[in-house]
Amino acid sequence: MAQKTPEQINDDLLRPLQATSLKYKLILAFFFAIVVAAGLAFAHQIDYGIGVAGIRRPVFWGFYITNFVFWIGLSHAGTLISAILRLCNATWRRPVTRCAEVITVFALSIGATFPVIHLGRPWLAFWLFPYPSERGIWPNVRSPLLWDFFAINTYLLGSVTFLLLPMIPDFALVRDRAMGFRKKIYSALSLGWTGTPKQWHRLETAMHIMAIAVIPVAVSVHSIVSWDFAMAPVPMWHSTIFAPYFVAGAIFSGIAALIIAMALLRKFLHLEEYLLPIHFENLGKLLLVMSLLWFYFVASERLTAWYGNEPSEMTVLLLTQRGSFSPLFWTMVFCNFLIPFPILAIKKFRTITGCVIASIGVVIGMWLERFLIIVPSLSRKYLPYAWVTAPYRPTWVELTITAGTFAAMVMLYMLFSKFIPIISVWELKAGQHPEAEGAVTGHKLPAGSEAGAD
Amino acid sequence: MAAPDTIYGLFPGPAAAERGMNALRDAGVAREKIVVMSDEPFEEYEFTRTERNVTMYRLAACGGIVGGTLGFLLARYMQVAYRFPLITGGMPLVSPFPTGIVTYELTMLSAIVTTVITLLVTTSLPNWKPKVYDEEVSHGLVLIGVVDPPEGARADLESRLQRAGAAKIKGTGRFARN
Amino acid sequence: MARQWGMVIDLDRCTGCEACVVACRAENNIATVGDDQAARGRAIHWLRVERYYEGDFPDVKVKFMPVMCQQCGAAPCEPVCPTFASYHTEEGLNGQIYNRCIGTRYCSNACPYNLRFFNFYNASWDKPLDLQLNPDVSVRGVGVMEKCTFCVQRIKASEIQAEAEKRPLKDGEVRPACVQSCPTRAMVFGDLNDPTSEVARLARSNRATKLLEEVGTLPQVTYLKRDSWNGAENS
Repeated sequence: MAQKTPEQINDDLLRPLQATSLKYKLILAFFFAIVVAAGLAFAHQIDYGIGVAGIRRPVFWGFYITNFVFWIGLSHAGTLISAILRLCNATWRRPVTRCAEVITVFALSIGATFPVIHLGRPWLAFWLFPYPSERGIWPNVRSPLLWDFFAINTYLLGSVTFLLLPMIPDFALVRDRAMGFRKKIYSALSLGWTGTPKQWHRLETAMHIMAIAVIPVAVSVHSIVSWDFAMAPVPMWHSTIFAPYFVAGAIFSGIAALIIAMALLRKFLHLEEYLLPIHFENLGKLLLVMSLLWFYFVASERLTAWYGNEPSEMTVLLLTQRGSFSPLFWTMVFCNFLIPFPILAIKKFRTITGCVIASIGVVIGMWLERFLIIVPSLSRKYLPYAWVTAPYRPTWVELTITAGTFAAMVMLYMLFSKFIPIISVWELKAGQHPEAEGAVTGHKLPAGSEAGAD
Repeated sequence: MAAPDTIYGLFPGPAAAERGMNALRDAGVAREKIVVMSDEPFEEYEFTRTERNVTMYRLAACGGIVGGTLGFLLARYMQVAYRFPLITGGMPLVSPFPTGIVTYELTMLSAIVTTVITLLVTTSLPNWKPKVYDEEVSHGLVLIGVVDPPEGARADLESRLQRAGAAKIKGTGRFARN
Repeated sequence: MARQWGMVIDLDRCTGCEACVVACRAENNIATVGDDQAARGRAIHWLRVERYYEGDFPDVKVKFMPVMCQQCGAAPCEPVCPTFASYHTEEGLNGQIYNRCIGTRYCSNACPYNLRFFNFYNASWDKPLDLQLNPDVSVRGVGVMEKCTFCVQRIKASEIQAEAEKRPLKDGEVRPACVQSCPTRAMVFGDLNDPTSEVARLARSNRATKLLEEVGTLPQVTYLKRDSWNGAENS
């Protein structure tokens, strides 16, 4: 990347904050309308009863829980890119970290609404919170849903701070350029940051600690979400492979979402000189690894179930592979592995366009995977008399709310990039130094020698 | 309380800033009275050197331990705080696995929260009072200056900063220029 | 010793008449959801009679099996409920506290027998059918799980009566609605911990088997049938 002066970097990355086109406002209004529609659908559901959704006996969990697991999984993008690559001192991560962390925070917030949306009595959701209740009981810690509560809240708080802390210097940057009311807001947000070495050292140490802390939390969050299924004696749910399977799948879908987000940002915010093809190539290689890992987990789970030939498990297995769910199943395999693998493995195809195509496939495939974990197993449990003859079909309420979540993600992302630089300006500048990444040279230049830019 | 009186120079880059710092040290100014501000960390240069802090790591670990203990007590309390014991069919009343999960999550949560609080406290943020700052810093210039210099040292300090390569020389308080 | 309520169902006596199903609906204020909702799989029947057909005409054999909540000793529905709505009583029943239920439906997913039912809408009875509601049983609102309770209201009523009369409960005094209505007396209910009770005696029969025993739920309902699973005859 051609070296840019700090002022050029400032101008490029702050440009989206300064001007808003009509096209932007129209697109934002469109997505906002979908989100409002989803809100109205949820209000309708509260008014009429959860029966307006498509769930039925025995498929008591459907689209809502699929969305829940999907969005929580998508939120693992930020952890991988920000935290893991930060700890590995991978320099190419610098322009990408904030894009990833934003996905994490918003996906997690969206995913965390679903445990409330899918309840039969959502107005009582606060009973999951441990407080001394007048009813004399506390929530049941044995329930994986309580583990969800603690884990998701911890991860949400961790991700929000992980996002907000490095934004402080960038808020200061915007503050210095803003005027009037905006200046007041950004002054408040930047907490009076001045950029003394002590502040920088403390901030970087704090980020380092947070990176170390947030990785185990992310692993635990999706393991705990997977245990919502694995802890119940349902055929094809009660499998020990679920925790690593879900974590790998989460990172997989997270990287795909990140690639799509970066490609859109690159195009719409004209960041072609910052989000380079090499970034997409590196993320594409990571996506390839995760695709292979995903395939490995799915194959392991299904091979052992098939070889074991246990009747209740085989029923569910054959239902997904040859029965009524087979179109969805094979679409999932196609989207998650058969498309991404050749695109990402062959260097010629691993362009930005190729990576985006592969990522779109992965996002679709991972959503289908969540659906196929939940619904076929519930349709065919142990007693044949209760097997579903009329299959689970989502209603307009579930479809609207699902569409609303995708629209909410795009809308929140658009709003974020309008108020805060989507590429972390100070981290990008810091990465441009020849001896960057913590190597302290400690040389003392003699006074009066030739002055240079940097 | 108003910002202290300072004399400072704005340097066009870290190399020049390094020279500015050396010039001030050669003039006999104590390190604590030198103020440095930049819009990037500049870790690899000497002028940003401050004392190492291992306390943040230790405090985060301590915070984690405290949170973990509280988490364990909470999980335990939630399982035994009834007038009659729960019927668990022979399984433990305080079951280890859920207690462990809640303990673990609250450990990590309090480690994170402790880190944030430590950061804010040790950097004295938020600090919205008037203080030494120049908006040119966010345009890429590095500010190196002296807080509360003695009277009569002004000309000397300003010429040293000039020779070290400052793009601009400014001051605050009684040293302000217009 | 504390009571352990249990039931024995003799499948060799069951004719599949479903009088028990109707009695259960009447006793427990079970809502009728309408044919549209029933077609979508949301019908509520705490007790159902499962019908399995074997063979082809004219050698068809039909097996009837009344299935209700097995009140499992190691119930998978209990640990997973976040609000303790599904809990275990000291008398061996798996209780469902409607007021605690927030409708996560995890218990119904965890139940291997599919015998938990959910209220997808608020139930309603057109007048004058609302006069038939049993005042001893609450009417469940939307978003609440429900299931067979072994007619706990009848158990409690008999226990209170026996205590008031300062005498122990007699065997056979407590009869849930299904047991009371069975014409062939295929269902027997009582205290499994009392070795002299009829239900304990029948549960020791060599025709005894349990449903989905291999899942490890320790059900309290015992089924008696003459043919074992491999076709050998038991006397």
